[in-house]
Amino acid sequence: MLAGTAPARIRIAPPRGRAGAGAGSTGTRGAGPYLTYLLPAAAAFTVVIAIPLVMNVYTSFTRWTGVGPRQWAGLANYRQLLHDSEFWASMWHSLALVAAMAVVPTVLGLLLAAALFDVIAKRFSPRVASLLRACIYLPQVLPIIVAAIVWSWILDPQYGALNVALRDVGLGFLAHDLLGDPHTALLTVMAVLIWFQLGYPVVIFMAGLQRTDPALGEAAEIDGATWRQRLWLVTVPQIRPEIYVVLLTCTVASLRTFGWIYALTTGGPGVATQVPSYYSYQSFFTNLDVGYGSAIATVMTLIILLVSIMFLWLQRRHAG
Amino acid sequence: MPRKSAGLLIAALVALSAVLAACGSSGSSGAAASSPKVLKVWWYEGPGSAYQIAWDQAIADFKKQHPGVTVQFSLKSFNQMQQNASMILNSSDVPDVMEYNKGDATAGLLSKQGLLTDLTPEATKYGWDKLLGPDLQVTAKYDAKGVMGSGSWYGVSDYAEYLTVYYNKALFAKYGVSVPTTMAQLTAAMAKFVKAGVTPFANAGNDYMAMQYLYEMELSQATPQDVQHYERYTGAVDFHDAAWTNAVKTFQDWVNKGYIAKDSVGLTATQAGNDFETGKNPMLMSGSWWAGTFESDIKNFSWGTFLWPGNTLNAGSGGNLFVVPKNAASKQLAYDFINDTLQPDVQKLLANNGAVPVAATPSGVTNPLNAQLIQNFQTLANNNGLAYYPDWPTPSFYNLLLAQTQDLMNGASANQVLGTLQSNYDQYVSSLG
Repeated sequence: MLAGTAPARIRIAPPRGRAGAGAGSTGTRGAGPYLTYLLPAAAAFTVVIAIPLVMNVYTSFTRWTGVGPRQWAGLANYRQLLHDSEFWASMWHSLALVAAMAVVPTVLGLLLAAALFDVIAKRFSPRVASLLRACIYLPQVLPIIVAAIVWSWILDPQYGALNVALRDVGLGFLAHDLLGDPHTALLTVMAVLIWFQLGYPVVIFMAGLQRTDPALGEAAEIDGATWRQRLWLVTVPQIRPEIYVVLLTCTVASLRTFGWIYALTTGGPGVATQVPSYYSYQSFFTNLDVGYGSAIATVMTLIILLVSIMFLWLQRRHAG
Repeated sequence: MPRKSAGLLIAALVALSAVLAACGSSGSSGAAASSPKVLKVWWYEGPGSAYQIAWDQAIADFKKQHPGVTVQFSLKSFNQMQQNASMILNSSDVPDVMEYNKGDATAGLLSKQGLLTDLTPEATKYGWDKLLGPDLQVTAKYDAKGVMGSGSWYGVSDYAEYLTVYYNKALFAKYGVSVPTTMAQLTAAMAKFVKAGVTPFANAGNDYMAMQYLYEMELSQATPQDVQHYERYTGAVDFHDAAWTNAVKTFQDWVNKGYIAKDSVGLTATQAGNDFETGKNPMLMSGSWWAGTFESDIKNFSWGTFLWPGNTLNAGSGGNLFVVPKNAASKQLAYDFINDTLQPDVQKLLANNGAVPVAATPSGVTNPLNAQLIQNFQTLANNNGLAYYPDWPTPSFYNLLLAQTQDLMNGASANQVLGTLQSNYDQYVSSLG
């Protein structure tokens, strides 16, 4: 979708003025030479995205174990999805992960960025603000699998640092098998994801704040606006493009969450932390139901496309 | 002019696909031309395992018998083979002989798709059909639908495996517990450990172990016919029958009483193995494949094994298979290699390194732990007691049983769990036609 909408805004017009005035050959070339430059990207897009996508959609209409011929099944896989409680559970968990990876980090990131920019940088020094920003951003630099494995050690019910520390300071009654209890497993995954994701909005918002007009904030301050009012009524409207970008990319990332679930819980206990991407993977590779796995992947692709279109539309409406 | 560039774009894409296609086919054309004086062998058992030690010997024996033949061995990973086997075997660049998982969802599926060579004539010619007992032949044979137990030979296993209880002799002595031979004795022993603040059994809810406990409990009341129905679809399976109902209730009861720790719900098999190795739990019930690991890892206490008390039926089967892909270039050499894995020297190496060979007697085994392991296997085999594994009936049963046993540990209703198992099982069986 991004590829479809971008050219509409950034229309590359042929250099008409020069073409009319110059020697005949340049005038008749039109957009041709520019299109040539698109060739590598178009070829890569076709091979890496378009063909696999078409094959995936086709496979979703078949029964296939991954070996031998595919059997046409029509809408059978999609009908099965409608009645599959595990799939619906995974969709609800996806919504929870959107909250953990998009909503909460955006709100917290905004507050933290504003605090670092307005308070820490001014009262202490910009260097301290930069250092704190780097610390908050650090989890983003770690490979997901490495971070997830370390968290699984920390959260291990018997030997994990968290429970051991709680026991050592006499708070043993708070020690709990956080990832093993279906009531806490998803919340724990969400908390880890917030830790991981927070740095991204903070960095983007701080960059956005750099380009805001300080005069507006100062004027509002003189008029008696509180810090909260200035943040909400003066700063936020100015960095709205950044907020949209963060919300869009984080939402898409949360819908694609795989590595965290793979390394932390494998969707369990039961299906308490199952998510569509992991369910699709299981259907593909362990359940040998490739058609069904493709149907899940197709539905997720459609949802991600819809979410992207919605965000881009909202962004354009506000920008317009 | 845009038309011209569109044409250029299409031409470039066609050229690119041609290049990609050429890249894809170069390997296979090279392989097709390979000399029959090469034997390509693939397996995924790790270095240091009993299997690798024994099969290295088989390669050495093979080389002696075939001086002009080069053996090309590649170590693969289990995931690599599980996820790509069909793609690899569909090409012409295939090994001549490779290890593959036994069962309907693995070797059965490949045989059904015509990707494996029918080994029936060789089984007779080399006498494999005499060497492997009827229980071990079940996982070697697959019918036209890819269901194990009848039809043609599509693979040969040179070892067996089964579930057994590993116990820590030091902890048994410390708490005054003797090796139980009945379920009542085991229950009394577990109660004793719990009273002393020790969780008797190591377990891994996020791996294959929890479902193995459940299956052993089911087998305590199941008949051999029930097992055939469950594993080979020879009759209706009722998950609400006495055996399954007893199993889920007993399993939950054990978790509630602390015989199995509730917080093992998220653990992996490796973590459970560590719990046994470090003496945290005095017992672990799992596959005979752990024996080699424990022999090399456990230094500070002695340990032994005993069969799940009270059961005639016990989870177990032939081990992974050596199969010959349909497109293998040197099939005759592959048959010779398979035969080498079944020879006494290789079998003895398996036995002395903690595996259960298909053709060895405890008498030739130096390590008493291994002798006991083989002795117990022979007890099972003599009683026709091998009952395969709980996750075999459908490809999704591994994930399903894993999730359902986790739910049981977290207090889910037994009836609901059995209902879920029933509907998934029935759905798969009806899809077989």
